[in-house]
Amino acid sequence: MTGDRHARPDIAEMQAQSALPRKSGEMVFQNDWERRAFAIAVSLAEQGVFEWSEFQQQLISAIAEAEQDDPLKPSRGYYESWLVAMETLLEEKELLADPNQ
Amino acid sequence: MSDKQHHHDAPKNPYHESPRTDEQNQQLKERVEKIESLLIEKGIVAGDALEKLADIYENDLGPMNGAKVVARAWVDAEFKKRLLDDATAAIAELGFGGLQGEHMIAVENTREVHNIVVCTLCSCYPWPVLGLPPTWYKSAPYRSRVVIDPRSVLAEFGTMLDDDVEVRVWDSSAEVRYLVLPERPPGTEDLSEEELAKLVDRDAMIGVTKISTP
Repeated sequence: MTGDRHARPDIAEMQAQSALPRKSGEMVFQNDWERRAFAIAVSLAEQGVFEWSEFQQQLISAIAEAEQDDPLKPSRGYYESWLVAMETLLEEKELLADPNQ
Repeated sequence: MSDKQHHHDAPKNPYHESPRTDEQNQQLKERVEKIESLLIEKGIVAGDALEKLADIYENDLGPMNGAKVVARAWVDAEFKKRLLDDATAAIAELGFGGLQGEHMIAVENTREVHNIVVCTLCSCYPWPVLGLPPTWYKSAPYRSRVVIDPRSVLAEFGTMLDDDVEVRVWDSSAEVRYLVLPERPPGTEDLSEEELAKLVDRDAMIGVTKISTP
């Protein structure tokens, strides 16, 4: 019995460094902006703006950068790295330009 | 179960609590809002869809890999031996990872022994194997009563055990997570491994129910 799943396993079950912060399976969001940033990236993947694997690679690099000095004391949190990854990818795809400028 | 060996504070994970000042949070929030409003303006994402997406992932039941582990153990005696010997490694053999520092132990139900899993202090649970914990697993009554009077808790789940069956209660912790290997129901000799996996449900792998013949 696998139950109904509406989440994509490639997102929900990322492993190792890029694994979503969870406590006993439940996702941990410390702030609303984290939840929002999570949803935006998932939505962008669903819209085909980028492949999830592309985003995940950026996320892994951003986390590695933050853990460079001390893996136990990353210089920024998971969702900060998430945000950096998203900004980098959107920048690459030239989607961050303000259309009104 | 001694208090000394039992603690539920998860291994330190800096990503569960990264300290930020209000000011930092405000800046981060603004960065997210900027992206969001740009993408909404360009018609790439929709605000209400974002809310629903977050809900979907928060409520996603997660993988039920445990059912495949159980089915394999039922059909492959060598695998079963490895599972009972070192569950973490045996589960990894099937390609199910994602355990973050937790050690898995599989406990086998037999004619003589019935195992049941709880987390008395919080809700330690093997997500990569069983997905999200059910609400009752986290409830105070289950957590306290299953230790004191497991038989009556089992009875409430409709599980009646003979008097001579020994009940063992396993208390999960941050380091150790348990998986109950239920008894293979009689009359399933002709079923394939895939068909067997479909019979295995979450409650049976927590140990509150048995698996009945389909």
